[in-house]
Amino acid sequence: MEQPVQTETWKAQSLEELIRILHRLFAEDKVSVEEVQALMESYESNPDEWLRYAKFDQYRYTRNLVDSGNGKFNLMILCWGEGHGSSIHDHTDSHCFMKILQGNLKETLFEWPEKKGNGEMTKKSERVLRENQCAYINDSIGLHRVENISHTESAVSLHLYSPPFDSCNTFDQRTGHKHKVKMTFYSQFGERTLCVSTRRRTHC
Amino acid sequence: FPALEVLDVSGTGLAELGAELLALPRLHTLLAKNNRLGGPGSLPKGLGEAPLGRSLRVLNLSGNRFAELPPALLGLRGLQSLSLGGNRLHGIPADIQELRSLEFLYLGGNFITSIPPELANLPSLSYLVLCDNKIQSIPPQLAQLHSLRSLSLHNNLLTYLPREILNLVHLEELSLRGNPLVVRFVRDLTYNPPSLQELAGRTIKTRNVPYAPSDLPENLVRYLSLASNCPNPKCGGVYFDSCVRQIKFVDFCGKYRLPLMHYLCSPECSSPCSSASQSSTSQSESDSEDEASVAARRMQKVLLG
Repeated sequence: MEQPVQTETWKAQSLEELIRILHRLFAEDKVSVEEVQALMESYESNPDEWLRYAKFDQYRYTRNLVDSGNGKFNLMILCWGEGHGSSIHDHTDSHCFMKILQGNLKETLFEWPEKKGNGEMTKKSERVLRENQCAYINDSIGLHRVENISHTESAVSLHLYSPPFDSCNTFDQRTGHKHKVKMTFYSQFGERTLCVSTRRRTHC
Repeated sequence: FPALEVLDVSGTGLAELGAELLALPRLHTLLAKNNRLGGPGSLPKGLGEAPLGRSLRVLNLSGNRFAELPPALLGLRGLQSLSLGGNRLHGIPADIQELRSLEFLYLGGNFITSIPPELANLPSLSYLVLCDNKIQSIPPQLAQLHSLRSLSLHNNLLTYLPREILNLVHLEELSLRGNPLVVRFVRDLTYNPPSLQELAGRTIKTRNVPYAPSDLPENLVRYLSLASNCPNPKCGGVYFDSCVRQIKFVDFCGKYRLPLMHYLCSPECSSPCSSASQSSTSQSESDSEDEASVAARRMQKVLLG
């Protein structure tokens, strides 16, 4: 495979600049995962710039849309109270970048369950992501669960999904059974989204 | 500072909160996370009676060294939110029921082994976090927490849940991961045959034999009032002390099976007891699951979401 002569290294000095550069990168036909990951990691989290998007919910983690990327990507901020976690999920054939803005998040990777799955899902690896680190995942890499395992600190993360998607599958760790779910935004562009139907959720 | 409403002394290395706090009549939020609180005298004496005791609504003591819930706290009748996450608690005192106004209780990340049924006497509790502990079973009384919206039980030692959990109609969030929940159908065959008193009691109840308090000694009248209904809807029987514990699945849409503990009046009760119907084992299993399924449908959206 041909190596590019020169790889761009971007440094985003602010959240606004990060978004501007992302728009430019995604306007191209081809986007490099490494470039985007490096760009996201280069932004040094400054709460003053994102606090207005960081709306917490007492009962569970929230998804707060920041930018809709001209349809090419969704950029959102997730807020995790103490002990809040997600179920095991896939990413509907999209790229997923996750950067920690505050606190720490534990990411546990899982293998896809067997077609006839009726056993415990296989854990591949786990790690704790620190502030400003940026992780990447897509369906060919596997599935993951993300959780704030701290009982004293909340966590905030910045997520980029490309192409955008509003539904995914969640998986029961004990059996590998999957279930399609629709995802909703707690707020969009800093405004609380009302008329969100309450959904009952069991995490396993 | 008599007008102080919010005080955050988190991460300051404090080993005790001084009595000066007691005089703050407007303080409603006190955050003291990540300190060295936990020894005797960590909290000032007379907390319940002081102006602070009446005003305090939110108390965060997470990340400290409490080995037991400090009794001084129990006087905080107005407290709405209490966090003792990441401490060293080994249990929860029954007296927790005195925190009548409590809506939010965070006890994740301790060493708690069991839950007192008195916890269910908190009428406004809506968010209960018990994750990352050593809990082996949930008392069925917890189903009386009618206001409960979110229950966090992940990373404990649960093998089953009481079937009453299906009665929590307002529950929107339930986390169960990281528990050794029984996946396959398990039947507990250790069954103590009923005593003559039990058999007589059952007959009186199921045949509706009339009796008046004057007919029987007081202890037997009381005994008869404690009859529990066999959850097998085909049975209609009752039991007193002698029952079979049986773990059954409640199948949520065929995708997700929660092991729930059922108490049945006899080992035969998984199949219909009355002569009215005859059925194969698999049908009777689904029949006796019917009652659970109806209640479960209320919680049906409690799926991986």
